[in-house]
Amino acid sequence: MREAVAVPWFSAGLKEWIFTTDHKKIGIMYFVTGLVFFTVAGLFGMILRFEQTSPGFQVVSPSFYNYLLTGHGAVMLLWWAIAAHIGGFGNFLLPLMIGARDVAFPRLNALSYWAFFGASVIVLLTLIPGNHIKMMWTGYPPYAAHADAGVTAYYVFAIHLLGVSSIATAVNFITTYLRMRAPGIGFWNTNLYIHSLIAANVIQLIGVPSLAGAVTMLFLDRYLGTNFFNPALGGDPLLYQNVFWFYSHPAVYVMIIPIFGFFSEILATFSRKPIFGYKSMVFAIWGIAVISFIVWIHHMFTSGVPDWARVLISYTTVLVAVPTGIKIFNWIATLHGGAIILRSPMLYTLGGIFMFLIGGLTGIPNAMVAIDLGVHDSLFVVGHFHYVLGMALTMGIFGAVIYWFPKITGRMYPENLGKISFWLVFIGANIFYFTQMVAGFLGMPRRYPDYPPIPEWVTLNQISTIGALILGVGVLVFLVGMIKGLTSGEKAPANPWNSPSLEWQIDSPAPVNNFGEKPPRVEPDYHPYKYGAPPAF
Amino acid sequence: MAQGAVHEAHHEWSVWPFPIGIGTLLVPIAFTLFFHYQKQLAGLIVGGVALVLILIGAAGWANEHFTRESDVGFGWLGTFTFLVSEVVIFGTLFAAFWMARTTHADEWANWVPEGVSLGMAGILTLILWASSFTIFKAETVLEEEGDTGKALMWTFATFVLGALFVILHVKEWAHLWAEGFTLSSNMYGTGFYSLTGLHTSHVLVGLLAQLYVMWLLISGKMTKEKPTLMKGVSVYWHFVDVMWMLVAGTAYLVGSTAI
Repeated sequence: MREAVAVPWFSAGLKEWIFTTDHKKIGIMYFVTGLVFFTVAGLFGMILRFEQTSPGFQVVSPSFYNYLLTGHGAVMLLWWAIAAHIGGFGNFLLPLMIGARDVAFPRLNALSYWAFFGASVIVLLTLIPGNHIKMMWTGYPPYAAHADAGVTAYYVFAIHLLGVSSIATAVNFITTYLRMRAPGIGFWNTNLYIHSLIAANVIQLIGVPSLAGAVTMLFLDRYLGTNFFNPALGGDPLLYQNVFWFYSHPAVYVMIIPIFGFFSEILATFSRKPIFGYKSMVFAIWGIAVISFIVWIHHMFTSGVPDWARVLISYTTVLVAVPTGIKIFNWIATLHGGAIILRSPMLYTLGGIFMFLIGGLTGIPNAMVAIDLGVHDSLFVVGHFHYVLGMALTMGIFGAVIYWFPKITGRMYPENLGKISFWLVFIGANIFYFTQMVAGFLGMPRRYPDYPPIPEWVTLNQISTIGALILGVGVLVFLVGMIKGLTSGEKAPANPWNSPSLEWQIDSPAPVNNFGEKPPRVEPDYHPYKYGAPPAF
Repeated sequence: MAQGAVHEAHHEWSVWPFPIGIGTLLVPIAFTLFFHYQKQLAGLIVGGVALVLILIGAAGWANEHFTRESDVGFGWLGTFTFLVSEVVIFGTLFAAFWMARTTHADEWANWVPEGVSLGMAGILTLILWASSFTIFKAETVLEEEGDTGKALMWTFATFVLGALFVILHVKEWAHLWAEGFTLSSNMYGTGFYSLTGLHTSHVLVGLLAQLYVMWLLISGKMTKEKPTLMKGVSVYWHFVDVMWMLVAGTAYLVGSTAI
């Protein structure tokens, strides 16, 4: 509600925001809620970083550190990396890109948001002293089923409510895509963002219930005395890890595939060229979605799984590099021969692809069982996933915010602030996470609040904190830019980037009834990336 | 359950998702009060408020749907998509059960109580098979003949069969529980009650939906032109039936057979 008032969009009253079923308003509510939680979780992360700057305890107690770490992980992943862009941009863009009036079930869509809101309230409840949860976002038993881990019920139910929200959204989006495309929009001329979004939601549909099952078993074990994770009476703690990662690994593709979609949209626009290898991009997206379900055991290489499983999953994990590699080469080929315009969304996209490349390449050693045994649970892994999920994703979202800002708000995002924030975020993040990876290779474990005063570790942690500060300032500049754009940004034309994609063919901000009474006219040779003739190579 | 809906310009907003959303927030809070803080009374009160909010919201929502002119018919696809994720929810419990069953095959026989009877599983299966047939009849009668009276009769028959299933099943549980076979006895108990319990909760949702369909048929809101909800309820019920065979096959047959 607070977020609704903060967005001067359509100047709608509070009542209209609470009871809205409009996909655009719901999208904005999702994104703003996600952004608020991103800021809070970012602050948590900053406190963690200050605590780690030097050995010993400076800022927080170990127990509070565990709470902050749990909160940082859970909120960043589930609120920022999933809900903010799937609920936010997905809702806003899906009907606009396929030429529909709204999603298939508008009221279910509103319910999705309110379930997400409920999960947010539960997370806020854990802020109350005495209600802290300390089981990390993964919630492994036996610790998570132990009283010391805090209010296990809040952890379980936050995930349940997010699950309700995600499954409802997935049902909604998949039905919308299957049944509500404007005449003329087919599988082979859908925006890559929509392909990514639908692939991500298929993963959500199949994966989320698995996570819900895992935490339900946790709840039953903790409060009703069942034996799911009790080896003495036939249970198995590994069961939790299996069921948990069966969703939570595919979840990282839920997070990143739509970001790849942003990259493709923005890259084509600012290279003024059709995306290279459109069909291979579509195959890559769906390929990643399929492979995502057969790699989860790589999170458990040190958990005591059989060797055959480790070898097999090591292979399938490396297989992920094939479709992602296809995507990266296609992006590079799109740039080749293009008329590249370095506007801030493009900078964020190029930066995001760079971050993803480093994150992806450091993922390959993680997939090798022999190396993983050494670096498992070290800061190397933390650095790795902050490159991929942390920064490639955040840069993708920031780029998308700037890119679709005109369509959402009717105003332009201030270009200078976009550029400044990009360089701060990019430089800060690289200093921050690269040093973490080095510290991890030097043996520094993750998750502990304290560490012995080993000179190399101390130096690296200090450099890391400097990077974090630069990154934090960059994020602040970006947020300031959003506020400045909203209040005093230049008035945006309907199609500022001169894109052929459907969402740009209507006014800015998008009118209440999208395309009007009738579905938009789609030319027989419509393609979202038709920027002039393809150049000759 | 998802319902088909068309989104016209004058349906920009709906008050009903919000109370359901608040209700779904209060349910976990009620559970937390009840189980974590051991405040049973407060938990029950909050849970009651939640239930009322959800029911009011659902009733208003459905009323809004049936006062519209047309029925676009996405509901069937929506329900079907939703069932994909239901399969995975059951899948997690199957994984738990089968993992325990295979790794503890040697001591499993000691965990099987006297009272688990395959005969009961067979009777329950026959009941659900019959009810799948009756709901199929209800659906086709409504869609092809538009005969709401006959559709009502067949839906009622389905409801009776479903209710019989629940009653017999609860009696079976009470009997086994009294024998000392509980949720926490061992992994067979945990797996048995969680699988059959999850399944029965789905049967209950199906029964609620059928009550609602009957009310719609009686009040004349559901007609040949608006059969989407009936289709959705029917698809859901067939799913419950198919899932029962897997649940019974696992919890009863594989569970109680000593190999």
